[in-house]
Amino acid sequence: MSLPGRATYPEGRELAQVVAGRHRRGTIFKLTFLAALMLAVIALLTLLLQVIDSSFGYVALQNEVQPRELVASLGYGEDVDLVDLSKADLVVLLQQTISNNVGRRLERDQRFFDDRLVFENESKYVELCAGAEPVPGCSATARDQPGVYQLVVERVVQPTVLQTWTLLESVFSRGDIHAEAAAEYPQADLVFRSWVSGRFLVSPQAPDPAVAGVRTAVLGSLWIVAITLLFSFPVGVGAAIYLEEYASDNRLNRLIQTNINNLAGVPSIIYGMLGLAIFVRALEGFSSGAFFGVGGAGATTNGRTIVAAGLTLGLLILPIIIINAQEAIRAVPRSLRQAGMALGATKWQTTRAHVLPSALPGILTGTILAVARALGETAPLVVVGASTFITTDPSGPFSKFTALPIQIYQWTSRPQDEFRNIAAAAIIVLLVMLLTLNATAVILRNRYARRV
Amino acid sequence: MATDASTVGDARAASLKKRARPVEMLIQGFLFVAAAISIVVTIGIVYELGKEALLFFQSEDVTLGEFFSSTTWQPAILDFGIWPLVIATVMVSVIAMLVALPVGLATAIYLSEYASERSRGILKPILEVLAGIPTVVYGYFALTFMTPLLRSILGDGVVEIFNDASAGIVVGILIVPLVSSMAEDALHAVPMSLREAAHALGATKLETSVRIVLPAALSGIAAAFVVAISRAIGETMVVAIAAGAGPKNFTLGEDSLFGHILNPFVAGETMTGHIVRISGGDLSYDSIDYNSIFAIGLTLFLITLVLNMLSRRFVARFREVYE
Amino acid sequence: MRYSHRLAAVFAVVMLVASACGEGDSGNTTTTTGAQDTTTTASVDGMLPVVDPLDVTGDIVTAGSSTVFPLSEAMAARFEDEGYRGRITIDSIGSGAGFERFCEQGETDISNASRPVKDSEIESCRSIGREPIEFRVGTDALAVTVSPLNTFATDITFEELAVLFSTAVTWQDVRPDWPANPIQRFIPGTDSGTFDYFVEEIFDEDEAPILNAANLQLSEDDNVLVQGIEGDGCDPDDPATTCAVGFFGFAYYAENSDQLNVLSMEGVEPNEANVDAGAYPLARPLFIYSTADLMKQKPQVADFINFYLTHVNEEIIDVGYFPAPPNALEAAEQAWLDAMS
Repeated sequence: MSLPGRATYPEGRELAQVVAGRHRRGTIFKLTFLAALMLAVIALLTLLLQVIDSSFGYVALQNEVQPRELVASLGYGEDVDLVDLSKADLVVLLQQTISNNVGRRLERDQRFFDDRLVFENESKYVELCAGAEPVPGCSATARDQPGVYQLVVERVVQPTVLQTWTLLESVFSRGDIHAEAAAEYPQADLVFRSWVSGRFLVSPQAPDPAVAGVRTAVLGSLWIVAITLLFSFPVGVGAAIYLEEYASDNRLNRLIQTNINNLAGVPSIIYGMLGLAIFVRALEGFSSGAFFGVGGAGATTNGRTIVAAGLTLGLLILPIIIINAQEAIRAVPRSLRQAGMALGATKWQTTRAHVLPSALPGILTGTILAVARALGETAPLVVVGASTFITTDPSGPFSKFTALPIQIYQWTSRPQDEFRNIAAAAIIVLLVMLLTLNATAVILRNRYARRV
Repeated sequence: MATDASTVGDARAASLKKRARPVEMLIQGFLFVAAAISIVVTIGIVYELGKEALLFFQSEDVTLGEFFSSTTWQPAILDFGIWPLVIATVMVSVIAMLVALPVGLATAIYLSEYASERSRGILKPILEVLAGIPTVVYGYFALTFMTPLLRSILGDGVVEIFNDASAGIVVGILIVPLVSSMAEDALHAVPMSLREAAHALGATKLETSVRIVLPAALSGIAAAFVVAISRAIGETMVVAIAAGAGPKNFTLGEDSLFGHILNPFVAGETMTGHIVRISGGDLSYDSIDYNSIFAIGLTLFLITLVLNMLSRRFVARFREVYE
Repeated sequence: MRYSHRLAAVFAVVMLVASACGEGDSGNTTTTTGAQDTTTTASVDGMLPVVDPLDVTGDIVTAGSSTVFPLSEAMAARFEDEGYRGRITIDSIGSGAGFERFCEQGETDISNASRPVKDSEIESCRSIGREPIEFRVGTDALAVTVSPLNTFATDITFEELAVLFSTAVTWQDVRPDWPANPIQRFIPGTDSGTFDYFVEEIFDEDEAPILNAANLQLSEDDNVLVQGIEGDGCDPDDPATTCAVGFFGFAYYAENSDQLNVLSMEGVEPNEANVDAGAYPLARPLFIYSTADLMKQKPQVADFINFYLTHVNEEIIDVGYFPAPPNALEAAEQAWLDAMS
């Protein structure tokens, strides 16, 4: 190490001063680096805080019909609560409120009583159960009292959300909220509500934000990520191995390299258009499942399926995986490869057994970043044909689908306030999904990350 | 004796040669195909974009000259000059890079050189969560947090409600994990022997990290930069939400350079923002405004291509190879 | 409010049915009496045959406007709630892309649109053998809003609106007795049907004046426009502060009515009564499109459109829009009947 402007090396006290200066500089820079890290973490926390702030908080819930009135209408006194009523009484309440069609549908899904029908006609029901596709209610046990009570609450009492408040407001301005609620919504109850709940996860979409859920979207996103990874991980790592181990430095391979770097910068929506042209239109036989004999009569078999979306996103993230894998493979010391060769291994054997395991941490980083990207993309999915409203779960890779980011984007653009709350809840679900998916990769990465 | 050994040796050598080849060739073939898929993708993109862009340029309302020289982009009144969109794209990307590169690199150095293995194992995935937050969230974050922050620091009159600076800073935050994770991997992979040699010669930790390890990992760090810049240019949602839906049209000579044209605190729609907005809007797919998005896409593709080729030359000069 | 509407309607139906119950088959609806006849008797409002969603099977594919999406979503969810067991999907991709799928690709059964179909799109449809039928399903009113600090502007005429959104620099340029605060404009982007409609009504389809206006902020997202106007810092006594104005769908104003003031248009306030009566001038139509062939080949499509037209007025207010004028809805129902004959 040379020192600027000096012909000879310092000695004695001067040496001590110079060394102390270098150490001081080291400490300052160390703190700067740490500050940068903290800045990034703070940015993350601020983002998360905004999301969490909207996912929990007080809501003003008002019942359309008070339970007390319902109980009284049946002739019971003050001492009986709605939840204590018998199943028969509750069914009477339902009959008074819901439309016949809804009642019949509920009964076809699951009967109210074993011995008699409430909404449906006896002969029609027998006909349904004897047919080729019996309705679920034919074989399921009758609804129990708690189940019917739930129905009554949902459809007769109908608690409606009138106003929501954020978490920070709920924690720090409780008094103000109580006052406001008492003044503006005297009939309403003030309840602390978590918008992220089990019910939110298992319910399908609905136009009413209070009952909407993300089930179809979560399943859609999971299917898409699975197909994306299944395609792009082998192809990406394979391409990287080729470029690093096998490719000679000729024009074609340099072109491929520049090409891959360039593809990393193409906007995602253009990948969507490409996916539309190739996977949805040109390869429609493949992506609609017709090639594999999937898709019954009455189903709309076109190419706008999970397979098309998965492959499109696979193309999108391919450059990230390739570039990361390349760097990881390049960083493996040549001595490792030479040792393998010296022992008589073929190129592939050396790569498979020595280079890849060493490069695994870098490859996994690429995978983690790529999955994060794929999970959060909206625009290409919309172009390829993700639905915005769909209530049937995907039955396989050849189904129509929706995805979490699409729901989030849709809900954030609606005017009603409650949609912002469920959008935030959906974002939390997305992040948890991401962490879970990445957890395996992170654990593997930590285990393989030895220092050479 | 010698003949015995040599015949045995020859036989073994012959059988080794015969055994491994077909599998090797097959694997090499598969790997080549994997790499070549990227070429097919590029051809596909250029074809798709070019086909529709051709329709756009063939229309009588727009000429190639106007597209590349006019400084007003307002398709509704048939003005098709690309410059306002390009300038906004460049500005957002530059601001994003100014945020992401220093923060990302510094974070990477800290995680790789200073942090313990355990804290590295925890902090790195935490930062990678930043990469996973949907871009829609970042867009609203820019609008509801960053813009008010900038307005309170610099004043309401200076910073408009839609501006490129908020979008740029937030895109930078979005990109930090890309830079930090990839750069950190590169730094981490540098052999310990280099560090030990530097310490043996009396270098401090800072000097080792910055003067020995960093140059050794330059290839990986450059790759991280390339991915980051590409992502910044190609980002759609954040700019669509936070930078506004109106292109920053200007007239050379009339509008001030730093007050309007290069002012990051005013609204300015980027190329990607425009593509996303028009493709999801109510305009007819037959209209010239709709077809213009393909021309914009093609231009963007060419810009990133030029950028990549330049950066390749630049990086190749500084790359060092250790053992 | 929505549920008490439904409650009332259902009570009426149940009463009618109950009264017909004991006597056999004279009644309007037939479900609880047990007869299976569902198509030949008239609906509650008289024109269309009653659809029983429980008997409808098969898939329905719809796509189009993001403005019409919440309405179609509400109708589809209700269709499913009342027993539809097929699969209905709605893609919110914009009116233009919706027509592309409907008229060029032939992929969708129903196209949602917040603007009427264009002639070029009809040509495309015909070239693939589709003759589009228009069904008017609702109305979206445009609210022209200012911040609550803006105490001087409460109503405006069409001519003043044109000046306000083009050449005027201060509020005084629009009307002399308004203060001289500069104007800050927040409008939807040029790709939006709202923008198109506004320009059509106020500027007679000429987009140049509004796009060349000073101090113009465009946004993709109406929620963002609301925020921009809310936070403008307008002070009528201090001419240095800017006072914002903007326009967007009425639902966005309704959700934020404490933080925004709406302007009356030519003396008419935007509220349900005025829009229903056709008195509020800035009210744009919402449509769904299909074809007679589709409706006949896929009876579930015809059934869904029937259900839609029959029940849309029960759900539309909750979604945030206004009912279509009665004669427009009747015309839609007539179009349905014509298509099916």
